[in-house]
Amino acid sequence: MAEREQIFEVGRELLQGLDAARSGPLKALDRRGMDLATEDAELRAALLRFVDVAPACRSVDDLASHLLSYLDELHQRPVSLDVAIRMGSSRAGRAALGSAALAGVRHVAHRFIVGETAHDAAKVLRGLWGEGAASSVDLLGEATVTAAEADRYAARCAETLGTLAQLYGALPAQPTLERDGAGPIPRANLSVKVSALTPLLRAEAPELGERDAAPRLRELLRLARRLDAHLHVDMESYDSREAVADLVLSLLSEPEFADGPSVGLVVQAYLRDSPELCERVIAWAQSSGRVPPLVVRLVKGAYWDHEVVDARQHGWQPPVFEHKRESDRNFELLTRRLLQARPHVRPAIASHNLRSVAYAIVANRELGGAERDVEFQVLRGLGDELGQALAAAGLRVRVYCPVGDLVAGMAYLVRRLLENTANESFLAEQARGLPLEQLLAAP
Amino acid sequence: MALAPFANEPTLELRRAAVREELLDSLRKLDRRLPLRAPTLLGGESRGGEELLSTDPGEPERIVALAPRSGAEEARAAVDVASASASGWAHEPVERRAEALLGAARWMRERRGELAALCVRECGKPWLEADADVAEAIDFLEYYARRALALQGKDDGSAPLLLQAPGERNTISYRPRGVCAVIAPWNFPLAIPTGMSAAALVSGNSVVLKPAEQAPGCGAKVAEALRAGGVPADVLCLLQGEAEAGAALVADERVQTIAFTGSARVGVEIMRAAAEVRTGQRDIKRVIAEMGGKNCVLIDSDADLDEAVPAIVTSAFAYAGQKCSAASRLLVHESIASLLGERLAGAVQRLRVGQAEEFGVDLGPLIERQAAERLDRYREVAEAQGAEVVSGAEGADFDGAGWFRRPLLVSGLPSDSEILREEIFAPLLAFEAVKDLDAALERVDELPFALTGGLFCRDPHTVERVAARMPVGNLYVNRHITGAMVARHPFGGNRLSGSGFKAGGPDYLLQFMQASVLSENVMRHGLVVS
Repeated sequence: MAEREQIFEVGRELLQGLDAARSGPLKALDRRGMDLATEDAELRAALLRFVDVAPACRSVDDLASHLLSYLDELHQRPVSLDVAIRMGSSRAGRAALGSAALAGVRHVAHRFIVGETAHDAAKVLRGLWGEGAASSVDLLGEATVTAAEADRYAARCAETLGTLAQLYGALPAQPTLERDGAGPIPRANLSVKVSALTPLLRAEAPELGERDAAPRLRELLRLARRLDAHLHVDMESYDSREAVADLVLSLLSEPEFADGPSVGLVVQAYLRDSPELCERVIAWAQSSGRVPPLVVRLVKGAYWDHEVVDARQHGWQPPVFEHKRESDRNFELLTRRLLQARPHVRPAIASHNLRSVAYAIVANRELGGAERDVEFQVLRGLGDELGQALAAAGLRVRVYCPVGDLVAGMAYLVRRLLENTANESFLAEQARGLPLEQLLAAP
Repeated sequence: MALAPFANEPTLELRRAAVREELLDSLRKLDRRLPLRAPTLLGGESRGGEELLSTDPGEPERIVALAPRSGAEEARAAVDVASASASGWAHEPVERRAEALLGAARWMRERRGELAALCVRECGKPWLEADADVAEAIDFLEYYARRALALQGKDDGSAPLLLQAPGERNTISYRPRGVCAVIAPWNFPLAIPTGMSAAALVSGNSVVLKPAEQAPGCGAKVAEALRAGGVPADVLCLLQGEAEAGAALVADERVQTIAFTGSARVGVEIMRAAAEVRTGQRDIKRVIAEMGGKNCVLIDSDADLDEAVPAIVTSAFAYAGQKCSAASRLLVHESIASLLGERLAGAVQRLRVGQAEEFGVDLGPLIERQAAERLDRYREVAEAQGAEVVSGAEGADFDGAGWFRRPLLVSGLPSDSEILREEIFAPLLAFEAVKDLDAALERVDELPFALTGGLFCRDPHTVERVAARMPVGNLYVNRHITGAMVARHPFGGNRLSGSGFKAGGPDYLLQFMQASVLSENVMRHGLVVS
């Protein structure tokens, strides 16, 4: 069968799995909430601004007055919001409106944030494991602007690693999630951000941030090795990419980490020069001879708007592809490249795009890879159903799970919401009911 | 003359290693050529000298440029040359003058690295700032060239600006004023002298440029660029000197316009001196003065501190606070004052003080010994007044050679402290908690300066309310308050901060011109001839 047909067949099966996963009435309700935000760009912006400011509001009255300020800026207000505006005219009304809005934020937050701490998240993480999905926990929090904040974040990471190791240690075996052709895969998995491990990340001086973050990351690596946990270093904006890549590869080259722990990096396919980073990482993995193999999470990238606006303000060519199609195409090229680079790297395909996922499954088969030799990653709250469908198909799935204060954490997640509601995103396309042929067409 | 629409000159993409390496290479090349010669230029005549020398503020033993200390006599000679050439230059077509600016922009664009390196060496500007200085100089050239062309074509009759009654034809035209003295500061040693000179030149004036005595090398480059671009030698004179040279230019009866950027004290003195009409003087001197500030950033209770902290730090401490736009007072809603205070103190502690040429350095040296000592005195005043002083750049280890100082965050000052009123022009930020934004606005309103201001707030209604009440020339919301971009953020202050229209803005050139109106009777015996 030609590749195209295979991708269609795999895609169709996944879509059936998706439909089965979203049959509950509660889920339909949640989706409608997001749809409302998707349809009206202005309203969506107003609601996101509200979510963003909510943790900084001093009282329910303050919450209500911010919400009203944002709604006031809308050129066309849905009739359903008139009630809210009327409530704003009295103190009691504002209190009710503020409380309701806060409850709304918490409600939405529950969908994305699995708990205030890893300990609180235990139930969700156990549930996921039972359904056949591993996790990578991501600690939400304020930006790091001081050394004390970097220390606090590192301490939270260390504590979380301990909690996760204990939690996952007590769970029953899940063979699909615990081993691939290269060997055992740690159960406990934490994603960390270098920007939170140092206040000194400077685009024009990457070595500064590297030097400052290195001791904190080194301690976490030691702890992860002791606990047999995986540490995944996230990528952020382009300004910090050089520092993050150099830091991880140089730390892993230190003799003490030659046999562990399991560590991961990220390649962002929306970057024009991502093939170069991908090659560099693969070459490093091949020559280092380090075990266990480096995990490479392949993503499209979550900072697209930031990168484009930042570059335009400076008069630079954006470092990202400007058409989604180009990123999608590059994602497929890099998928194949990473699959070919096994066993030196462990590819983790992180996408909610049905076509990208189906492509990875088919490419893996074409290359003669076993199903267990590729991992799929989804985001909590956005890719749950896709994750379930993939797990049901017997594939190895990991859910990226944000942990943190519901209201404050939600503000940090606004960026991901923005990505989700952007017009071109797969979820939006699917919500608009595009035909399968279009959803699965080659980019 | 059709030009592409104006676009800001891109700054260098310093996040790319190859770009950084190229700059370091430019610096190495420059170092081999030091000290530069920066003579006074009187038309075709060049008068060198070594009395005035600029040194590297980070290593004062290193001499960057050697210049003569020209005084009243050379000022007189420069105005001789400029006034003789003024009429010829005024009658050149505006296209030719615009072309000279564009040529200067090209010349600078070909020397981005060299010029930035000179800023680093002569004025202790860290790379990011030094490169932005070069880009802004190019922006002024490109922008004013376009504005001059636009103004010239403004009232060509096709869409007249003036009301036309039957039987008469009214037109307004803008003409040069004559000789313009440009007195420039050292803190934007390329951009500001280039901007002021270019505006005067393209408007048809001849210019005598007196760069700051701290930056004769950069001043020489500005003159070199303009002349290389096509400004005739006798239309642009360069006067290297100190206060005596500047005062002589201001007093010269043949100087019609004075463009000055610097301190309020000097600016007001210039205006006073310029008001006196001297023997043989035919014009009321016009003084375009961009002066100091005491710039306040207001932080509302709903501010996003993750964004506010880095933006405040940049506003107050980039280039060691030596920008007229820099933040010097922070007025913080009391509900978040302690949290912000703590985070800010931590952020100030991790700032890096060091040689401007090291990438990642936040604060280079101060410009000179007096500047460093002035900061020390303010610090003593703060301590004597019982304020808490957080001294930043923890662990920084700078040897005694350069004029390095730690950034200071000062809180708990008495409300009548001079530190809250005077322009310090150094890395000192005063922190005050206020009851609410109204209280903050009252404090801002008490100040005689009104250059820039900042607001961190996420309620659109509040933003609107504060914007209406802030007296400043440039208000920045939810961002740093420095780094105004030509054509995007026309720049200039109100109150004692300035007398001019905004630099880099649509009206700036009008100050270098005078308007003439022609009203012609076009009716002859009942017949309208048009």
